[in-house]
Amino acid sequence: MEQLSKAISVTGLSFAYSGPVILKDVDIEIESGKLTFILGQNGSGKSTFLKILAGLLHFQKGSIKISGKETTKLSFSERSRMTGFLNQSHKAVFPFSVGDVVLTGRAGFINYIPKKIDIEAAGQAMEKAGILHLKNRNYAELSGGEQQLVMIARLLAQNPKILLLDEPTTHLDFTNQSHLIKLLKNLVQEGLTIIAVIHDPNLAFLFGDDFLFVKDKKVIRSDESSTAWDIDFLKTIYHGNIQSIPYNGRALLVPS
Amino acid sequence: MKKRIISISIYVLPLPLILASLFIGPSQSATPEAIFRAIFYDTGNVSLIHSVLLDVRLPRILLTFLVGGSLAISGCSFQAIFRNPLTDSYILGLSSGAAFGAALALAYSFLPVQLSAFLFGLLAVGLSYYMARKNKNVSIVSLILAGIIVSGIFTALLTIVQFFSDPFRLQSIVHWTMGNLHNASWEKLESSVIPITAGVFILFIFRWRLNVLALGDDEARTVGINPERDQLIVLIAATLASSSAVAAAGIIGLYGLIVPHIVRMLNGPDNRQSIPLNFLFGGAFLLIIDDISRTIAGFELPIGVFTMLIGAPFFIFLMKKTNIGWNS
Repeated sequence: MEQLSKAISVTGLSFAYSGPVILKDVDIEIESGKLTFILGQNGSGKSTFLKILAGLLHFQKGSIKISGKETTKLSFSERSRMTGFLNQSHKAVFPFSVGDVVLTGRAGFINYIPKKIDIEAAGQAMEKAGILHLKNRNYAELSGGEQQLVMIARLLAQNPKILLLDEPTTHLDFTNQSHLIKLLKNLVQEGLTIIAVIHDPNLAFLFGDDFLFVKDKKVIRSDESSTAWDIDFLKTIYHGNIQSIPYNGRALLVPS
Repeated sequence: MKKRIISISIYVLPLPLILASLFIGPSQSATPEAIFRAIFYDTGNVSLIHSVLLDVRLPRILLTFLVGGSLAISGCSFQAIFRNPLTDSYILGLSSGAAFGAALALAYSFLPVQLSAFLFGLLAVGLSYYMARKNKNVSIVSLILAGIIVSGIFTALLTIVQFFSDPFRLQSIVHWTMGNLHNASWEKLESSVIPITAGVFILFIFRWRLNVLALGDDEARTVGINPERDQLIVLIAATLASSSAVAAAGIIGLYGLIVPHIVRMLNGPDNRQSIPLNFLFGGAFLLIIDDISRTIAGFELPIGVFTMLIGAPFFIFLMKKTNIGWNS
């Protein structure tokens, strides 16, 4: 049972692009059924870590198990049922309609041509993401925030067990941020596991269940003894340039 | 609704067009009137008309249709897998590579013309892609740049082959590279129909996958598609179809660029519809252009001349008239 509650187990993971090492001997476990945020300074390797989890980058050393299965042994379509990935930003070259873009999320289920069930699933996903009214619009002409929501609908159409989101809130205004966070919370309630890289620690601490920090080529949690929003701990992550204001039992953070 | 009417007409158009095209041609004895008389009253020079229609015009019509269709369908596929709306077999250097391969085979008869065209076409696209690729990324500009360079290399090589060919072979090579359909025959049709059909069939199977691939490698991989494998299959199928078209009819420049854009303007970018529509519209449009050229010119001009003179204004007209969203 213990093994099953782990969505992802990373052991001894090391990664470098072609130059310096980005992540070194990372050991971390991420629990299923939670909204986990990954925080850290710019350029610390948060997005790299997430892309490795999504299977987009090949790591040089170590192992990653997803729901107990070694990732290197999974086929493309097996993999797509387990993890889905939202890129930081995505630019479309062709003027595809929103409906066509969302439908591509079903690729793992489709041999060559989408069936009625796939088109229905895409429709439900758009409804869930609140973008059904954009269905016939040209994806390339939408705002950054709207495009983000379209790609999230695409993820919902894909329907994997684990969502890996790279800065899902970046292009969104307050209304859409709150809409998205509620959506993510609901999905976690429904049993999904969500792991998201996020810039804003405030959003993370207000809404997250668990917090990971990328620092000095490692992925870590705060000590057992302190909370993730413990100011002394955060000062080690952000090199001291931070102060906290108590809020709702947690804390709001501002630069100092 | 309007889109529906347009796409249905594109589906319906080819058959009557092919029939009507049988009546068009420079032959003085096979005028529409004479054909009618031969068919319905069995009078006049029936055997001559029979031979003009079935041995001269029909293979040319079918070959024209196949060539136009395969250039358009492969142009559309190249644009999707390279995520580059500015590309086609001509811009990728494929046409020049295939032309060089075919000329080499014509001059030295070491390989069948079709096979040689395919191999050198594939080599040319591979070179363009390899030159343009940097850090796992192929930018729109660098691919076009690389294609122009590769095209230049093979055009230069083609000139060398021509230079060292004897006058008789030189004439056939020159004629052929200018893009011509007037020496179409059943043999020529037979040698291109299999590779073209095979390529078109594979592209038809992969038509929806092209939508997934067009969104980006990461976006395809994370939803369960192996982008490298699928791109390679599409690349080989499109190269097979378009190099066979080049081997049969010579270089018809930019046709594979123009038609996919026309189809996109008429029916939108979804490749599920675009792929079949490109084949049908590409075939029909080239046939119309060829019919016009056979009607207004008493002599045979290379087909490439008329594709440019008729295709380009039509393209510009549509580009001004429709808003396809390239501006954002």
